[in-house]
Amino acid sequence: MINLAPNTKTGLLIDSPLIAGSGAAGYGDVWPPGLKPEDFGLLITAPVSADPRKGKAQPRLAEIPAGFLLETGGHNPGFRRLEASHRRIWRRLQAPVALSLAAGEPGDRAWMAARLEELEDVIAAVELPISEDVNLSEAGARISAVRRATPLPILARLPLTRAAYLARTCLVAGADALIVGTPPPAAYPAAGEWVEAPIGGPVAFPFVLRALRRLAEMGIDAPIVAAGGIQTLDDAQLCLGLGASAVQIRSLIWRDPAAAHHLAQTIRHALPEEMR
Amino acid sequence: MIQTQALLEAKETSGAVQRLHLRAPDMAALLHPGQAVLIQTGWGADPFLRRTFHPIAIDSERFSIRLPLDADRGRAWLRLAQPGAMLDCLGPVGNGFTLPPHAQRILCLGQGDAAWTLLPLVQAAAVRGCAVTLATETLSKRQLIPTAMLPISVEYHIATTDGSAGRKGDLRSLLPDLLPWADAVIAAANMDFYRHLGRAIEEARVLLPKGYAQALYQMDFLCGTGACQACAVDIAGGRRRVCLRGPAFDLVDILR
Repeated sequence: MINLAPNTKTGLLIDSPLIAGSGAAGYGDVWPPGLKPEDFGLLITAPVSADPRKGKAQPRLAEIPAGFLLETGGHNPGFRRLEASHRRIWRRLQAPVALSLAAGEPGDRAWMAARLEELEDVIAAVELPISEDVNLSEAGARISAVRRATPLPILARLPLTRAAYLARTCLVAGADALIVGTPPPAAYPAAGEWVEAPIGGPVAFPFVLRALRRLAEMGIDAPIVAAGGIQTLDDAQLCLGLGASAVQIRSLIWRDPAAAHHLAQTIRHALPEEMR
Repeated sequence: MIQTQALLEAKETSGAVQRLHLRAPDMAALLHPGQAVLIQTGWGADPFLRRTFHPIAIDSERFSIRLPLDADRGRAWLRLAQPGAMLDCLGPVGNGFTLPPHAQRILCLGQGDAAWTLLPLVQAAAVRGCAVTLATETLSKRQLIPTAMLPISVEYHIATTDGSAGRKGDLRSLLPDLLPWADAVIAAANMDFYRHLGRAIEEARVLLPKGYAQALYQMDFLCGTGACQACAVDIAGGRRRVCLRGPAFDLVDILR
């Protein structure tokens, strides 16, 4: 078992280092063929905001070399509706669930985190995406506000290009683990308009490796989850070798569920003895 | 939905267009007219996204897709694939067309390349014993669906932009003659045509009732399961995922 929150009362124990992240399985309600929740140590939902968001109109998707840009505009049903509609789904899942809390108005994330007390039987942790444009004090303030609102483990998702800059502040503010993280944003035309979003797919992977190397140099003493463009067992092992405790996949689940299932089966055996 | 390896059994080339015949009994058994199949192209991570196809023929063990010549590098890779190759397929995606149980006179309306996606439905309707009329619009007679690909009982109306075959003009000019006859309409075209079709049905039949007309909403899918939300569009009174609610919709929902 791997503990992604060793300093909390409950901890966040996962039985596989493979995480389905960033809404790879939606809110735990959409699984591609051949994949099951138990293939993963943890499911991280798509981000949810306090109020429903309609998201961006088409086009949302643009293909780039070895990847894609996906700009949904934060499309989600809102916290209240999700809470009502998904409690039973989460209870049935054979994997712990981390709810990703989207940024919004000041206080929104703390409000949602406080409401999680009523969902403590089904939600094991929260993910807080930290945006590209925040400074140290803003990042710290956002995490500490949620820390005060919930005792659940907090996974801070950092922008890959600023992970080293933000890491210590986020941990001091109350994050239990770091997800490294959100790839750099880019723009590409599609259907006569622009799609602007973090890069997705294998093209993001080298950014993850660079961020992991920086954090390893800093001697960060907290669990780290590698996320971004991981497609193969070799990719995953590179990340684990650079100090990651777990790896998160998304685009592989969407593009090739069979390969994701194969990775889920093989990664458990590939772990060093002390991590099994 | 399943993920399976399809055997590329044969290729036919007609001008610049290729037709690929894929043997995949497990996929063919699940496929309904109008549903999509997502095919992985390329040898590695590029191009990364699967290509979306609506089969133009479905039987118990095979389905066929059509590859017009275009600049897309994923489809270019498929054009180079040789018989004997295995293609990774994910599908069927979403909901296809449904033949209304009591309909006896089916009007199928297809515009450009999208018209080919109606062929499995035309076949199914003819097998059920329905009277089927297919009306298509193409730029010229070179893009027409050959009559040899249609069941013998199907009545075929043609409009070409250049007037090289059938009526000169677009599909709209055929509607006044055909709509009063039909007790169900199935269309594969663009949004402008769907809006026109809605108005034409109201003129011919006083109102556009739910269940009378279905239309294909064509777009490229990323995951096909609804997780990625890449295919959300304003439809049926809200912003909804085409891969879950469609890609075949009631025309009322498309226009709402």
